[in-house]
Amino acid sequence: MANEAIAKNGDPGHRPVRRWPTRHGALILLAIGAYAICVDLAEVDLHRLWVGLPKLAHWLGRAWPPDLTDLGLLLFRAAETVAMATVGTSLGIVIAAPICLYAARNVTPSALLYYPARWLLNLLRGIDSFVFALLFVAAVGLGPFAGVLGIGLHSAGSIAKLWSETMEGMVPGPLEAIAMTGASRFKLIVYGVVPELLPMLLSTSLYIWEFNIRSSTVLGLVGAGGIGQDLKNSVDLLDFSSVLTIILIILAMVTAIDQTSAWLRKRMT
Amino acid sequence: MSAMAPLPPPALEVVELSKSLNGKILFDKINFAVAAGEIVGLSGASGAGKTTLFRCVTRLSQADAGEIRLFGRDIRRLGGYQLKQARRQIGLVFQQFNLFGRLTALENVLAGRLGYMPNWRVVLRSPAAPDRRRALEALDRVGLATIAHQRADRLSGGQQQRVAIARALVQESMLIIADEPVSNLDPESAEIVLGLLCDLARRDGRAVLCSLHQPEFLGRFVDRAMRLSNGQLATIDDGPWRKTDPAPSRLPGECQAETAGTGPGHPGADNRAGDVPEPCVAPFVAAG
Repeated sequence: MANEAIAKNGDPGHRPVRRWPTRHGALILLAIGAYAICVDLAEVDLHRLWVGLPKLAHWLGRAWPPDLTDLGLLLFRAAETVAMATVGTSLGIVIAAPICLYAARNVTPSALLYYPARWLLNLLRGIDSFVFALLFVAAVGLGPFAGVLGIGLHSAGSIAKLWSETMEGMVPGPLEAIAMTGASRFKLIVYGVVPELLPMLLSTSLYIWEFNIRSSTVLGLVGAGGIGQDLKNSVDLLDFSSVLTIILIILAMVTAIDQTSAWLRKRMT
Repeated sequence: MSAMAPLPPPALEVVELSKSLNGKILFDKINFAVAAGEIVGLSGASGAGKTTLFRCVTRLSQADAGEIRLFGRDIRRLGGYQLKQARRQIGLVFQQFNLFGRLTALENVLAGRLGYMPNWRVVLRSPAAPDRRRALEALDRVGLATIAHQRADRLSGGQQQRVAIARALVQESMLIIADEPVSNLDPESAEIVLGLLCDLARRDGRAVLCSLHQPEFLGRFVDRAMRLSNGQLATIDDGPWRKTDPAPSRLPGECQAETAGTGPGHPGADNRAGDVPEPCVAPFVAAG
């Protein structure tokens, strides 16, 4: 019996020889080749790093002690950064809410608008807030408002994508149960979906907010306000004591926000 | 003597219904009807197509051919608002309960009223007083009034299924379809849930169609039983208790009394004749 089975299906102990070394070897070589091109394009030069390191050490030596003369202004800039990220994230949430409903396959009110909604959120997500901010500085002028708009548009894409994926991950049973009550799609979303997913949706938003605070520290480089602008000015003036102060403020701010956000998210789920 | 008035159409009548899935015939031109006030059991092996049949009947899936008459009206070709209205007439009880875990038992029951509520009440989560009262009454009827404000995911399986039945109750549907409502429950909870479904047929005169795996439950709780196998529907039990003894001492309607030990229950035939029945699930308030 066993022999017959083996004759029919092949001996499970002796799998047919595969030609994997050839195929996999070629793929590995291809990957190594592509990586080498990347290293070349990135102009990786260890010699330059070796020569530059003492220079960096010298600057670091000059940076200590941190310069606290402008501490008040720098703290104000840090607050401006947090404000920019917070208002930007809330703008993102407002834009994301309708998009995500259309972009979630299981709750979308219109199958026709499903793909356009996905395209829109991919477009918003694909352009970094830095690039958006650059464009808005040209449109609305220097200052944190350009940063708010940049963060808002980019976050809208990210939030809509994460939210719609959360919705698509819902078990279908309760949705079908509500559909059987004769309720409209709108009632289904408002009464069932949103309260059920609220902790996940809020947690995602907090995560994006956290991310935005980190990314908005550099938005000042394109003139979009916040502490990044002071960082750029100090580096340009080779004022390393101020650079150190700014970096320490950024570190403290980001750590505090990360901890707060993690604590809030933990309490929600 | 004047001519007899025409009989009202059955709550559910399935005519020549067919469905295939991935090349496999699940059911082929099957016919059956469920009348008001009766509880009909459906058995069949796992994968025989019972759930798909129920999904087709409720239009959660599309059948390939045939008619589904809900109180005489074919609902297979309905869409949009008309389909929503037709669905309100069917209370569906699922194997997995399908409650929203973060909502309270009361809010889950109120979901059964969503089809009737205006949008603004849904947005503000402020149901009208009669809706709220109706939901509390339904919870009371399934014996869960005391846990109305507990979150659904904190309830036991049996309690969750009773909340799901209460949701179907407030929907005011005269046809209840239960898809293996007790297969995830312990025997005690299963008896309570099946007793409730019996009561919906006996006391309210609702039509109940229920799929069940356990033969002992089929024998005790349903008026008629059908079996779905190899794409065909066969009657396996046509209520032998009614045929053999016109005044039997023990009837399937007594199932609840038997479980809870509280006096005789009521034969379904009597209730359908218009008697004022006593609740045959009175002891459920105490059951946990």
